[in-house]
Amino acid sequence: MTYRGAKLAVLAAELSAVVGPDGVIADRQRLRTYECDGLAQYRVVPGLVVLPESAEQVVAVVRACAALGVAFVARGSGTGLSGGALPHAEGVLIVTSRMRRILEVDPANERAIVEPGVINLDVTKAAEPYGWYFAPDPSSQQVCSVGGNVAENSGGAHCLKYGFTTHHVLGVEVVTPEGELVWLGGTTRDVAGYDLLGAFIGSEGTLGIATKIVVRLMRTPESVRCLLAAFPGVDEAGAAVSAIIADGVTPAAIEMMDALAIEAAEAAVACGYPEGAGAVLIVELDGPAAEVEHTFAAVRQHCTAAGAFEIRVARDADERARFWKGRKSAFAAVGRISPDYIVQDGVIPRTVLPDVLRRITELSAGTGVRVANVFHAGDGNLHPLVLFDEAKPGEAQAAEQLSGAILDLCISYGGSITGEHGVGIDKACHMPRMFTTDDLDVMQRLRRAFDPAGICNPGKVFPTPRLCGEVPGKRKGVHPLQAAGLAEQF
Amino acid sequence: MATSTLGGLRLACADVAEATASDTVDGVAARWVAWPRSTEEVSAVLRAAAGLGLRVVARGTGTRLAWGLPPKGLDLIVDLSRMDAVLAHTAGDLVVSVQAGVRMVDVQDALAAHRQRLALDGADTLGGTVGGTIATAASGPLRYRYGSVRDLLIGITVVLADGTIAHAGGTVVKNVAGYDLCKIYAGSLGTLGVITEAVWRLHPLPESRRWITATTPDPSGAAVAIAAVRASQHDPTALEIQRAAPGDAVTVGVAVEGVTGGIDARAQAVADLLGAAAGVAVAVAEHPPGWWGQPLPAPQATVTCEPTGLADLLTNGPGSLCGSAGAGVLACGLHDDDRLGTDLARLRDIAQRHGGNAVLRSAAPHRKAGLDVWGPVRALTLMRRLKDQFDPDHRLAPGRFVGGI
Amino acid sequence: MTAGAFDDHHPPAAELIKDCVHCGFCLPSCPTYLLWGEEMDSPRGRIQLMKAGLEGEPLSESMVGHFDACLGCMACVPACPSGVQYGTLIADTRAQVERRYERSLSQRLLRGAIFWLFPYPRRLRALRGPLALYQRSGLSRWLRRTKLLDRLPATLQVMESLIPTLTRRQQLPQWVPAQRQRRAVVGMLTGCVQDALFPDVNAATARVLAAEGCAVVIPRGQGCCGALSQHSGREDEAITFARALIDCFDAAGVDYIVVNAAGCGSAMKEYAHLLRDDSHYAPRARAFVERTRDISELLAELGPIAPRHPLNITIAYHDACHLAHAQQIRSQPRQLLHAIPGLTLTEIPEAHLCCGSAGIYNLLHPKPATELGDRKARNLLTTGASVLVTGNPGCSMQIAASARRLGHPLTVTHLASVLDASIRGVPLCDPSSAPTTPAHQNR
Repeated sequence: MTYRGAKLAVLAAELSAVVGPDGVIADRQRLRTYECDGLAQYRVVPGLVVLPESAEQVVAVVRACAALGVAFVARGSGTGLSGGALPHAEGVLIVTSRMRRILEVDPANERAIVEPGVINLDVTKAAEPYGWYFAPDPSSQQVCSVGGNVAENSGGAHCLKYGFTTHHVLGVEVVTPEGELVWLGGTTRDVAGYDLLGAFIGSEGTLGIATKIVVRLMRTPESVRCLLAAFPGVDEAGAAVSAIIADGVTPAAIEMMDALAIEAAEAAVACGYPEGAGAVLIVELDGPAAEVEHTFAAVRQHCTAAGAFEIRVARDADERARFWKGRKSAFAAVGRISPDYIVQDGVIPRTVLPDVLRRITELSAGTGVRVANVFHAGDGNLHPLVLFDEAKPGEAQAAEQLSGAILDLCISYGGSITGEHGVGIDKACHMPRMFTTDDLDVMQRLRRAFDPAGICNPGKVFPTPRLCGEVPGKRKGVHPLQAAGLAEQF
Repeated sequence: MATSTLGGLRLACADVAEATASDTVDGVAARWVAWPRSTEEVSAVLRAAAGLGLRVVARGTGTRLAWGLPPKGLDLIVDLSRMDAVLAHTAGDLVVSVQAGVRMVDVQDALAAHRQRLALDGADTLGGTVGGTIATAASGPLRYRYGSVRDLLIGITVVLADGTIAHAGGTVVKNVAGYDLCKIYAGSLGTLGVITEAVWRLHPLPESRRWITATTPDPSGAAVAIAAVRASQHDPTALEIQRAAPGDAVTVGVAVEGVTGGIDARAQAVADLLGAAAGVAVAVAEHPPGWWGQPLPAPQATVTCEPTGLADLLTNGPGSLCGSAGAGVLACGLHDDDRLGTDLARLRDIAQRHGGNAVLRSAAPHRKAGLDVWGPVRALTLMRRLKDQFDPDHRLAPGRFVGGI
Repeated sequence: MTAGAFDDHHPPAAELIKDCVHCGFCLPSCPTYLLWGEEMDSPRGRIQLMKAGLEGEPLSESMVGHFDACLGCMACVPACPSGVQYGTLIADTRAQVERRYERSLSQRLLRGAIFWLFPYPRRLRALRGPLALYQRSGLSRWLRRTKLLDRLPATLQVMESLIPTLTRRQQLPQWVPAQRQRRAVVGMLTGCVQDALFPDVNAATARVLAAEGCAVVIPRGQGCCGALSQHSGREDEAITFARALIDCFDAAGVDYIVVNAAGCGSAMKEYAHLLRDDSHYAPRARAFVERTRDISELLAELGPIAPRHPLNITIAYHDACHLAHAQQIRSQPRQLLHAIPGLTLTEIPEAHLCCGSAGIYNLLHPKPATELGDRKARNLLTTGASVLVTGNPGCSMQIAASARRLGHPLTVTHLASVLDASIRGVPLCDPSSAPTTPAHQNR
């Protein structure tokens, strides 16, 4: 047994005493079921899996890891799309799927307190009877955990109007990488001191493990109106989006799909979108009826003026759900028109949308790699789906390259390499293209404040030479972290 | 010594001078003032200051320099008033990039021309600079609907104590690349770095607005009215209260914004709701009441509480109260005499019963001395470590922040 | 292929496994994931184990344990956006397990006993006498009171708790004529458990079919459909049963084969897959599948012609997994119930979740089955309904037992019985009102 193997064996015994034998997984076959999250390209069999049931158990687990200097990675439902919860081969995977109690729903104080393993949609289900809901609604909301939402700062189709997880969490109880239980934020706003809560949300599990989360609840809107508009092409649809925004309307959501994405959705769920559409828009407005009624009429006009050849207005919740069905199924649906595909996630300023789409089309034509486009058009968040067939030599590599080129395109237009899926393991190598070495160094300072030993989800978010080869950019001397043996070169 | 320091600073920045009598921070006099014109110049100044071991405070218009505690020592003020440009505003993207020294009111004016706004209001906020607004996390009535600095700031450029220029966030609203460092600078009182540029998320200016107010002698009635508005589906933009002194009547103010076609119906619906809940007469106006978004004179505290604590606060809270009852963040004006300490303690007591806290924001330095300005602070160890990472020599606004940071 | 968990006789197919993109949408639909919150007891995890098995991991005790723990409820299938054919994967895996894995002696004995008894209507019927005596003699109550029952093995305790109060069983005729016009000739599967423990459901089914214009053929000597065997990976046994049943109904010359037990219907619709290697039976199996209908499916297809009388009751409808998930039959039963005047239909929270019956799952895995049964019963009780309607005898027994255990005995009945009561204008669940011959009313 290697030295590290021996450490894990010691840990396994220790942790069994903490969480019970049912809560520790150490045999290879079972461990393999945890080898990847929602991004299955990356696979690492964890050294050990632990399933704690309380914050106290998480504290004990993390302390045990810290004492032995063993890395750990937290994971919720394992649905992340950037490999953020990819296990560490010699580390412990701390899975929160058994911490799934909704501890409190308090409509009078507009909040709920939940454990990290609680499923996003279950918060809304618990609050709904009182007329409230939890606003972040990532496409995976029926399965993703609130702890994962906190780690990734998850958004969703409706974040155009309502913001991201960071806008809907008041406080978190956190186990620090040293095993201390602390509260960041609380049950009110403007808590004294640095906004560590804000820094923690979206830190992709590198600053600690949330064990309780105080989420804000929102009042369900009085009126929700939704329309589906079909356009000859993406240019016309893009023009409609610009016109709507320029008119001062803030829809709850504006979603766009291009012809290939529509084809896939039709194949998968027969969503029945208007025939011959080169692009469709789903526009949803919500709020007080008196407001929505007027703005909805304006939105219709803008769609027509921009060239929509058919506009359908949802008559009821069922029809609205049908509009959304095609959109929500789009990712998985692409599997019906292509054996393999990459889901990309990039952001551009909304105004350059037509330019960027044209460039993507050119890239696609130039390489012969097909790209289906699905996006949150309201906030410029693109989800190009790059199609390929792994069985055909060279296709995977070409798709990979095109997918990377799209990110470069996003950066060159002043956008971001990720709008909601996170950096994780997948995009760590792209970080130096968006941030300077100094920017990344400063982020590492925050990380060191939380995790001086560097054992909390190491290897994620920030590039390491091991992952990325030589990092571009000049460097002067040895970085202090590296000198101190606290970090690999990043 | 002084001359050589000035010489050293002048190498870094063209505009450096000896401080005058008015160059103080919360009563502490500075020795030099620098007026850099770019992020690079700020970086050069801070690098020079690092080499010289100078303690530094950044200054905008100085509106809120008395917030927090006086610095433990001060050598150099970095004045950002010459970095006052709006760098880029793409209306179609609802995003604006600005330098930190630009006044908020000037930003708003520039945006209003495009029927847009940065959803941070309040007379106090508007009078200050962008950098000061971020450093103090100042907010106004609009925070009920749009949040505060932390919720609207999407990108930032900061110069750290050693002169390192660091960016975080970006120029698009939706972005989860890297740590969201915008958050830690919001409300940090200049203790982590000098903010030089900011990128904000914008919102369209509404076509029409209405203010609905109701004044009731019964503080619990006011709390009930506020709870009713919160639980309604009228989606107000602001939900404020104002009370001049303990025992006085409480005024509840609601702002509704939206398209002209729907505004009167919505305002009336809110008025009906307020009237029914508080049992008093209600007024609907096209302009805000005089107290709307006005700052309270020092000494004043910021008091926070959970929504259900509002009745307790309105009934038993000392001093004058004003602010966002909707967000649970209020300003409390306290007596500028010996009662300050006991009133602050009482206020904090009430707040803590409801999950909140009371922080003494501004008061004359001699009044703050010996008082626990911040109240209990959680996760202080992590905050100290963060400070150590960003400013290991504790030269940026030393002692101004929580726990002596 | 010799290495790894599977041999090359229909191992779980790599191409089907590849369809799984590991998105996790199946997790909240899976009863065992809800119970234990661990990956290897989720559909995604089990597929991962199959993959590991194909890649060389041996068929270990723990791997078999996780396959065995799957209820086969198929709730993950509609939940999957990528269209993964989990049903096929787990069926092929189970067959491999049965063939290649040696279970412990006690497990073998238990399974042997179950499969000696349940797929044989005559053996089950033979038990009716002793069971009725046991119930009527007071022995049952005495055993409970003295807590002697608690000393029995878990499986026997579960069995004891499941058995419904037996009603008089009447022999159904082989031919029931259609009333009003004749719209179809249907063959009716009487089943094993349904026939032995719920004979009144079969009688009601025949009456309803007749009332709705179906001539009903009920072949004597029909055997088991093989559902339990098929769902447990006992492939050869299942094939034998399937061939016999196809022979039996082919001889009857009917337009449709109607089933009133979800588990049976779902298994019969799998015959084409089950007999895919049998050149003689494969085409006949496909034709058989074409003609197989759940009772609710057929009645909805034909549309009602018999007038309904009001039933002023509030009922909850429970989706049997093998109807809702395996056969996608959700709207038809609800539609039929909605059409009954006076009847209020409520929905059960967590409707997609299996009740834990799952064929013989509750006998093999009493603990999780009981937890699921109690969860279902608690959810059901929140609806305030006084009657539970479901389309599967296993679910009926399981949920009734859980409700009794929670101290809230419930009337649990079959859709056919409700329709029968409404068509005949008699109160529901009053066995004494049952006519002596199935086709007696409306004449």
